[in-house]
Amino acid sequence: MIVCIAVVGHQNNPLYIQSFTEADDALKLHHIVHCSLDVVDERVNNPKKSGPMINETFLGLLYPTENYKVYGYLTNTKVKFILVTTDLDVRDADVRNFFRRFHSAYLDAVSNPFHVPGKKITSKTFAERVSNIVKSVSFNTAG
Amino acid sequence: MEDYPEEIRTPPVTLVSIVGHQDLHATISTHLHSEQPPINTLALPDFSKISVIAKTPKEKENQLPSSFTSSGILKRDWLSKHRTRVPAVVAALFDSDQLSGDPALWQQVCTDIENLKAVIKGRNIKLVVVVVVRFNSRDFITEERMVALRKRAELEAKYVLTFIPDDASELNQSLNRLGGIFAELAVNFYRDEGRRVKMRLEKKNYSSIEFNIRYCFKVAIYAEFRRDWVEALRMYEDGYHALREMIGTSTRLPAIQRLVEIKAVAEQLHFKISTLLLHGGKVVEAIRWFRQHNSTYRKVTGPPEVNFLHWEWLSRQFLVFAELLESSNATMQTGSSPPLGWEFRPAYYYQLAAQYLKEKKTCVEITLSMPDSIPESDDTSDSIVPSVYIGQFVRLLDLGDTSVMQLITDEDYICYTVTEAKKSHNSTEIIALLKKSYEAYTDSKSHRSASLCRLLMAKEHFNSTDYTTAKLHLDKLTALYRQEGWVTLLWDALGYLRECSRNLNSAPDFISYSLEMAALPLPPLSPPPTTTTHHNPAGPLSLQQVQVIHKQVFEIVREEYSGEVKVDAENPVHLEIDLVSPLRVVLLTCVAFHEQMVKPYAPTLVTVSILSQLPSPVEIDQLEVQFNQSECNFIIVNDRRRDKSAITNVHPDRRVETVPVLELFTNKWLRLTYDVKSVNSGKLECTYVIARIGPNFSICCGAESPANMTDLPLWKFEDRFEASPTKDPAIAFSGMKVTQVEEPDPQVDLVLGSVGPALVGENFILPVTLNSKGHSVFSGELKINLVDTRGVGLLSPREAENSSADNLHVELLGVSESESELDSDSVQKFQNSFGLVPVPDLDVGDSWSCNLEIRWHRPKPIMLYVSLGYSPVSGSPKVHVHKSLQIEGKTPVVISHRLMLPFRRDPLLLSRIKRSSDSGQPASLPVNETSILVVSTTNCTEVPLRLLSMTVDPDDNLKSGNHSSGQHPGHPILLPGEEFKKVFAVKPESNLTKLKMGSVCLLWRRDSKSSKEVVTKQTLPDLNVEFPPLIVSLECPPHGILGQPFTYFARVHNQTKLLQEIKFSLSDSQSFVLSGPHNDTTFVLPLSEHILSYKLVPLSSGSLQLPRVTITSVRYTAGFQPTVAASTIFVFPSKPQFQLELESRKDSGSGSGSGSGEEIAV
Repeated sequence: MIVCIAVVGHQNNPLYIQSFTEADDALKLHHIVHCSLDVVDERVNNPKKSGPMINETFLGLLYPTENYKVYGYLTNTKVKFILVTTDLDVRDADVRNFFRRFHSAYLDAVSNPFHVPGKKITSKTFAERVSNIVKSVSFNTAG
Repeated sequence: MEDYPEEIRTPPVTLVSIVGHQDLHATISTHLHSEQPPINTLALPDFSKISVIAKTPKEKENQLPSSFTSSGILKRDWLSKHRTRVPAVVAALFDSDQLSGDPALWQQVCTDIENLKAVIKGRNIKLVVVVVVRFNSRDFITEERMVALRKRAELEAKYVLTFIPDDASELNQSLNRLGGIFAELAVNFYRDEGRRVKMRLEKKNYSSIEFNIRYCFKVAIYAEFRRDWVEALRMYEDGYHALREMIGTSTRLPAIQRLVEIKAVAEQLHFKISTLLLHGGKVVEAIRWFRQHNSTYRKVTGPPEVNFLHWEWLSRQFLVFAELLESSNATMQTGSSPPLGWEFRPAYYYQLAAQYLKEKKTCVEITLSMPDSIPESDDTSDSIVPSVYIGQFVRLLDLGDTSVMQLITDEDYICYTVTEAKKSHNSTEIIALLKKSYEAYTDSKSHRSASLCRLLMAKEHFNSTDYTTAKLHLDKLTALYRQEGWVTLLWDALGYLRECSRNLNSAPDFISYSLEMAALPLPPLSPPPTTTTHHNPAGPLSLQQVQVIHKQVFEIVREEYSGEVKVDAENPVHLEIDLVSPLRVVLLTCVAFHEQMVKPYAPTLVTVSILSQLPSPVEIDQLEVQFNQSECNFIIVNDRRRDKSAITNVHPDRRVETVPVLELFTNKWLRLTYDVKSVNSGKLECTYVIARIGPNFSICCGAESPANMTDLPLWKFEDRFEASPTKDPAIAFSGMKVTQVEEPDPQVDLVLGSVGPALVGENFILPVTLNSKGHSVFSGELKINLVDTRGVGLLSPREAENSSADNLHVELLGVSESESELDSDSVQKFQNSFGLVPVPDLDVGDSWSCNLEIRWHRPKPIMLYVSLGYSPVSGSPKVHVHKSLQIEGKTPVVISHRLMLPFRRDPLLLSRIKRSSDSGQPASLPVNETSILVVSTTNCTEVPLRLLSMTVDPDDNLKSGNHSSGQHPGHPILLPGEEFKKVFAVKPESNLTKLKMGSVCLLWRRDSKSSKEVVTKQTLPDLNVEFPPLIVSLECPPHGILGQPFTYFARVHNQTKLLQEIKFSLSDSQSFVLSGPHNDTTFVLPLSEHILSYKLVPLSSGSLQLPRVTITSVRYTAGFQPTVAASTIFVFPSKPQFQLELESRKDSGSGSGSGSGEEIAV
């Protein structure tokens, strides 16, 4: 289950962060997302030499925590998407697919003429769309 | 890791024992220890001590009471026994004297060997017999004794050695031999032991699974002893897997203790496996193994009342792995960069170790909070000690002189562990782990993770009521959250900070943290908090909560609330907000002057705008606006709260403005516009705006300019409406908190008298006049500056390289006061283009003037800037007047010259023949012949000049002629464009090849009485002087008369000492009848003259052409033909009547042809 999804701006500031848990652990998830930015920075500053990583937006598994897995995605405008999930057995392809859908939702949201680039995303439509994507995605290979 | 016994932490080392011959023990031990691999030595002084290595009698266990029925998996001291007490090899040292000679001694040897054999037999320890022989008695030892010894010891020949201690090389050989035998036998011993145990394992010859694990462990340890790491790793893994199967199947011990034992053994096996993997450089495998280990045992928490044991155990796994990883990283960190993955970082494991330790702490607290958790008396748990088996605890029963161990029940065990847990200092340990993690993250520049560790540390300090340290940590990490705009995280940290300052009773901190919290932006789509179990002391981040905080803080500052934190007359609070303060979101003040330049005493408008992001409206009692010129300060008072606030520290004549209400609404600019009058010229800047709320609380905000106002931190990411601070968008865009107050208008005239263009060479006088009209002048000063009109200074770039005073084109010479004599003391500073002149104090109506002297060295236009600075009143700021004038510098006169030969006298100059044309080379003059120099000068200016003299100064190295006679008695005036000519005679007397003509010196002045004389010099070009071999001169009367005959001579003078052949011819002329030779060739004798004479009768009148004589010198192939002018004569029709007086003197001042003759000899 996806428990948290975040859009992080150029100054590593959260543009959109939403958790999808019943429990009151938003703060913990925010900390996880914030710490995972360290890994994103490191990946971006020390890119792997191997070829396929050069133009890759999907950053892969960032951060193995005990109960969560954190995945990252870097758009071409250097906006970061961070995904926190409780599924410990996830296929990369599924995560890529999720990020692709999320990216297109993000693109639609920032293409809104009333949206100021660099400001937080406050669109309710975007929030609804994200919540639909999150609900529809299931990473569990079993289910 | 330090909790583990040393034998677990380090790889096992072979142990051998030596008996007898105590004097050699130290030498042998040292040598064996330095072997590769090292061997430890158990040195027994004599054979009576050999029982320590004997097998412990099993009967001892039987003494235990029947309640001790169970065994364990691993014995606690098994490994240490093998490392310290059970040697692989025993070496018996005998002296050679004991073998030879005395049968009693030999008997003793035999007995000792028998005893030793009996002892080691149970353990299969290998035996070596060493015979110590002196170097000089080595041959005395008999072969048969050695064989007998060997037989007695039942050894192969190679295990009976001789040892020679008293010779260096022999000793070394003996030691090496001994070391080699020991290593070989030790490997054999451990292999045999391992094989023996393994055999049991393979045959499944064991009664329970515990033995299986124990055998695996033993085989692995034996493999480690002989450095077979692969085998060791495999056996450890086998044991580990077998152990895993025990969970849930074994029923040997009470449930809790069983689990504890399994975990303890698993921990030890895992530690061994991890160490082996990491030492083998298999980091990835080690991490994978750890992950597997972690996932296997994480869920095995055991019953809830003792789950703190599980967390403690788990935390220890992480800590130990972190330490292992750290030490392995440290050793492998040679060249390669640290691996990127987060799981390769010890910091990650430290952090999790801290996290699990925290879990343990929580569980312990829960357990302790239960009413029946703590036993009434601690007697039962006092006597519980670790048993001989790893992970087991027993009660030690004291039975008089002996003590026995008794198994305990789970209840006793829980009781014991809870008591132990109560004693531990979990907070300190958690903080230490977090600190390690924090440092490791900081080292790897992972600042966010480091901040999280710091936050956890701070929370731990907070929980243990160490508020000062907690606050210190929190204060440092809020900067990162502020900078990156993580509001929720910042809220969390600030909540703790606020609580810390409340507990530390620091009102300023409490208020500023509260204000910052209240002004934080709220998450846009924040759902209402679902649960109330919030760990943050400030509660969840919500509108309701920020309003509560806001209300509370303003109650405190208005002194309407009585709590721990107080603001009153004894504890006033004064907050300062600068450009980088996080409290800018609370109060942002923006000050803009409406004009960038104002006149003194003229009012100008200034707008003070205040913005607050606090969630509820804020009423301000007073607002004080402060400027750098304190006369302008004013106070704005809220009329509604006038009585409630005390006006403190207010100057009695300070201006006070009153407004009906002074209230700030969220994200809405409060704009106040007032006029300000400045009295002093210069900068007027608004420095601070101080808001006073309540009698003892004030916030001092540094004023900001709207033009360069930076975004509000945190709020800049918010999608909010941003109004401009002033109504006028132009001011909002470019308004500044600074305005420039001009100086008062000058009331002194500065006049630069202009007298037309300046002339090069003269001292150009420029009068400067000051007229005071309305101001007195005090401490006045004139600044004079000469600037090239092209603006590059007075030097052209090329000339600037060899800059000297001579190269300056225009020079400021000085200033002379026209009316009074200038004091010599008065300070005058002059550089070539810059001058500073003090002006005496003047009253209103006075005037003062001075003359500037400027000299041009080259014709050049320049700009003259004169500025006057003065104080209208003594000591007051200066007022400045600026004037400028462009002045042309012009060339006054142009001097040219001409050289001529005398009329009708032509010396033959050979250089003229050779030269094709007059290009480049200087002209030649004949020596000892008088030539004529005509110097002409033209006035190029637009003013008449008076010519005082014109002389030619010969060059210094030549004999100078009479150049003093250059004065012209009438001082002729040269009108613009007029030319003046003067004729000089030049006669080179010495036969120099090169003649320097000197220079023309013209002395002139402007045609006015006051102007001074100016000398203009021009150098004449150099000349060649040569000796003419022949001189041809024509002689004829100045005029002829019609019909009257006259004589026409052509003289050829030979100046050489050679015979000169010349040809001559004469062309007829129609105007004359002539007699004389026509064509001939003749010779002129050396230093003599040949004269051709003709008698001519003019036939007509007027200007007539004489018959032309052509003379050719054969030697020089040079022809001579007189010029047309030279061969022209005027013939009068009849004899004219001349007035001779007119010829002698001409009027020198008239017309362009004026001139005079003068002879100079050079």
